[in-house]
Amino acid sequence: MARLIRTEKEVEGRYEEVFVVVEEDALDQWPAGPRDVVGRPATRVDGLERARGQAVFTADLKLPGMLHAAVLRSPHAHARVARLDLAPALELPGVHAAIGPGDAGVLQRDCGFQGAPVAAVCAATPAQARAAVAAIDVEWEELAAVLDPEEAVAAGHVHGEARVRERGDVEAGFAAADVVVEGEYRTQVVLHNSLETHQAVVQWLGDTLEVHISTQYVWGVRRDIAATLGIPADKVRVVCTYMGGGFGSKNDPGDYTFVAIELARRTGRPVRCALSRREENVVSGNRNATIQRLRIGAKADGTLTALEGEYVNAVGFDGWSSPVEGPMNQLYACLNVRTVTHAAKTNQPPMKAFRAPGFVEGTFGLEALLDVLAARLELDPLELRRRNHAASEPLDGRSYSGKNLLECYRRAEPHWERRHEVRARSTATVKRGVGMASQVWYGGGGPPSYAWVRVGADGRATVVTAMQDIGTGSRTAMAQIAAEELGIPLEHVTVSLGDTARGPFASISAGSSTIPSMGPAVRAAAADARRQIEEIAEQMGKTGAPVAEVVSVLESGQILGKGARGPNPAGLQVLTFGVQVAEVAVDVETGEVWVERIAAVHDVGRVINPLGASSQIEGGIVQGIGHTLSEHRLDDPASGVVLTTGLDAYKLPTIADVPEIVGELVDVPDAQLTNLGSKGLGEPPIVPTAAAIANAIRDATGAEVHELPISREELLRALREARERERVGAPAGV
Amino acid sequence: MELRRASELDTGGATPIAGGTEVVPLVRAGLLRPAELVDVRGVVPRGVEDGTIGAGTTLAELEREPSIPAALREACRLAASPQIREMGSLGGNLLQATRCWYWRLGWECRLHGGDRCFARDGEHREHAIFANGYCASAHPSDVAAALLALDATVVTTRRELPVGELYHVPAGDDRRTTTLEAGELIVSVRVPAADASVYLKAGGRKLFSFPLVGVAAARTGGSTRIALAGVAPVPWLHSGSFAAASPLPRNAYKVELAEALVRRALAALA
Repeated sequence: MARLIRTEKEVEGRYEEVFVVVEEDALDQWPAGPRDVVGRPATRVDGLERARGQAVFTADLKLPGMLHAAVLRSPHAHARVARLDLAPALELPGVHAAIGPGDAGVLQRDCGFQGAPVAAVCAATPAQARAAVAAIDVEWEELAAVLDPEEAVAAGHVHGEARVRERGDVEAGFAAADVVVEGEYRTQVVLHNSLETHQAVVQWLGDTLEVHISTQYVWGVRRDIAATLGIPADKVRVVCTYMGGGFGSKNDPGDYTFVAIELARRTGRPVRCALSRREENVVSGNRNATIQRLRIGAKADGTLTALEGEYVNAVGFDGWSSPVEGPMNQLYACLNVRTVTHAAKTNQPPMKAFRAPGFVEGTFGLEALLDVLAARLELDPLELRRRNHAASEPLDGRSYSGKNLLECYRRAEPHWERRHEVRARSTATVKRGVGMASQVWYGGGGPPSYAWVRVGADGRATVVTAMQDIGTGSRTAMAQIAAEELGIPLEHVTVSLGDTARGPFASISAGSSTIPSMGPAVRAAAADARRQIEEIAEQMGKTGAPVAEVVSVLESGQILGKGARGPNPAGLQVLTFGVQVAEVAVDVETGEVWVERIAAVHDVGRVINPLGASSQIEGGIVQGIGHTLSEHRLDDPASGVVLTTGLDAYKLPTIADVPEIVGELVDVPDAQLTNLGSKGLGEPPIVPTAAAIANAIRDATGAEVHELPISREELLRALREARERERVGAPAGV
Repeated sequence: MELRRASELDTGGATPIAGGTEVVPLVRAGLLRPAELVDVRGVVPRGVEDGTIGAGTTLAELEREPSIPAALREACRLAASPQIREMGSLGGNLLQATRCWYWRLGWECRLHGGDRCFARDGEHREHAIFANGYCASAHPSDVAAALLALDATVVTTRRELPVGELYHVPAGDDRRTTTLEAGELIVSVRVPAADASVYLKAGGRKLFSFPLVGVAAARTGGSTRIALAGVAPVPWLHSGSFAAASPLPRNAYKVELAEALVRRALAALA
């Protein structure tokens, strides 16, 4: 029976109360361990298509008569358009239309950040469109820009009130401590740099709008476009069948889509609006910078007595305040915790979610300072973490739906034990060490999400659901789940996804939610089909016969199963956990760091596809290494203008920066969570990487880094400081 | 923009292009607006003979060339990416423009005819620590530093000159970064043999990074020459002391880095 419930919905650490209609999830979970298909490594069902270049991404799409749009964006951090004349653009060859402020809601005269869209043109070729934008006659009135996040907070330039979380009595906790350590940590702005830049191709077909877009959420794009244009949502069709990465930056339509929509309306032609790589590195979103002032109090045995954090999120001109204080509040059992998180509003490009937003940054600060504490107490860092393990959610005492962090620690032991041997391989100038860090993050998904499964007389099945595979392999995982439930080979399942006109509503692919939200719906749909097939088999006197044999009587008939994601377990906290152990070599004279090995042990419930899961672990760690060592968006300090707009200056890691990665998953179904017991793995692997590397550097050299990225400058500073500390015999962490 | 193939070394004032790894990005960024491009690959010598390297020789060919000094081989191997080294020529590498982000973004800095160095007052953590009073740009060529340490001679269509004289520290009365004249083309580079030579590099990531600091050292007979990449607006002949360095607030780390690499380079030659 359909049931209306009020539930808490979480995406990327943001919660909202929503009403959802759910159907009871009556299926029992499969027993733990590999099944016939689920739990066994499967190569991607679309691997060949992708490798052969046959998979059509938004960037590949060429519609007949399609025009190309380009956008005039503010070159200044804060400016007003004093004068704007589109006429010179319209006179250029190939140009079909030009629009400015007032023509589309996203185009503005008042620009609060570099890259704010002001006007746009469309032309027959991308080069003509760019030339036309350059020809627009525009006069800027530059305005004073707020750039320093701490000055912004002091001056009241903020996004809402500071977020305060408090439990127990922090001052009493510090008073009871035998040792108090404190430190200030800073993290930089990093850029998603998806391989496929943000883009959309749109066309009007009568009063229906067709939008092809590189997105993590076709339904959200449909909703936002319909609301903005004031047209019924079913007059908007949104398609994304293959996409080249989003990492949190592609959850909404973006200015480029609305520009394309208006230009398509005016010209009656399909219009593509694609960000260039340089635009991508300015306006497509970022992981915002943070400042973290942290204090930890503990008993001599390591028991945490107080945690205190004051955080500044440098949100930029727009966006939201990511849960940077989350790890301090949720990672360890501690009775007395107080965090204050400010959201600075500056004239810099808006942040967007980026793979575990807030938790990556907050874990770096907390876990780095925790190792300083371990050193002060002369405790093994792993043992210190064990002693503060939280048996229930520290925020509110709720029980966990499932938690195997202690098992992760246990499995990390052999990797952790290597530290003696690793350190022993140090030389006079190259010091080696091992560091670890824990991980907590969301990843439980939730309703609503729906799927259909259709089985034909040939015994083959098609999963139909308008979800998206953002490159993580969810297409393959859904096929595995359907094949498992139907008892048919994986090769006999096709997945149709990525089109709001073809299939029911499906979850956003953000917050590590695709598998935990969609997987149970797909299994429920497959089970519904299987039940019908079993009923037919019984009537045929073939109870228990294989699916293919039963459905062979159908001819053109089909079995149609439908399924929905059930509710999350009431009153339980659903989280993912893990630990990573990093081995590094540090050249103490040049500040060079080699990450030589990272072992990652994560607990995300049942693993659907071990091969896909290992890819997620590797991808998260590689992205984490970039965040830790080389990636840094640099802005001109006086004007706030972004300087690292090209991939020459913005240094993503290359394969030479990638170490041996050993991934391991606890792979025990979360017995309380859905008919699968699976959580998401998209984000957890990037969460502890920076902290584990920083702690390994500390283990190797005694240098305490306080900033990301750990550049030569920062590491040479920390090494100098460590030498000085050793000279005067001062304790660490003061 | 016209593109033609050269039939002789006189390009008639057109902008020469060989591998295109330098010219094409500059054209795409609008920093170079040549009326005419001339592909000189057919007329500029390519290959190595008796210590003379044709300017059209690619970096990839040089990194595999056993007859040239180790410092030059290493500088080539540590530059750019394999794809770029397969295309990029020696001549083009010597003439590449700075990676200063202000210059690359077309800010009206002194090198672009303006009256300010934005990097000096602004973001300069990858910039020059020597000769940076007028323009703090850093020269990006690993190969040029190696050739400077090796005391190589550049042969152009008009003259021969020590590689150090190919470069010019930009100043108020002359903002050029090279002394090459309009229409003058690098034809080859003569590299004397060295008893021992080495090139060491510190980048912003393991590979595919311009030098934060590159150190080339070559010992010939009793004398050793050291040259640095990434520390001045031109490839920098090292005096033996860093006392003359004038680091900016955020790039003093480069002095420490360069000192360490120089020590190592000298140790490697010993």
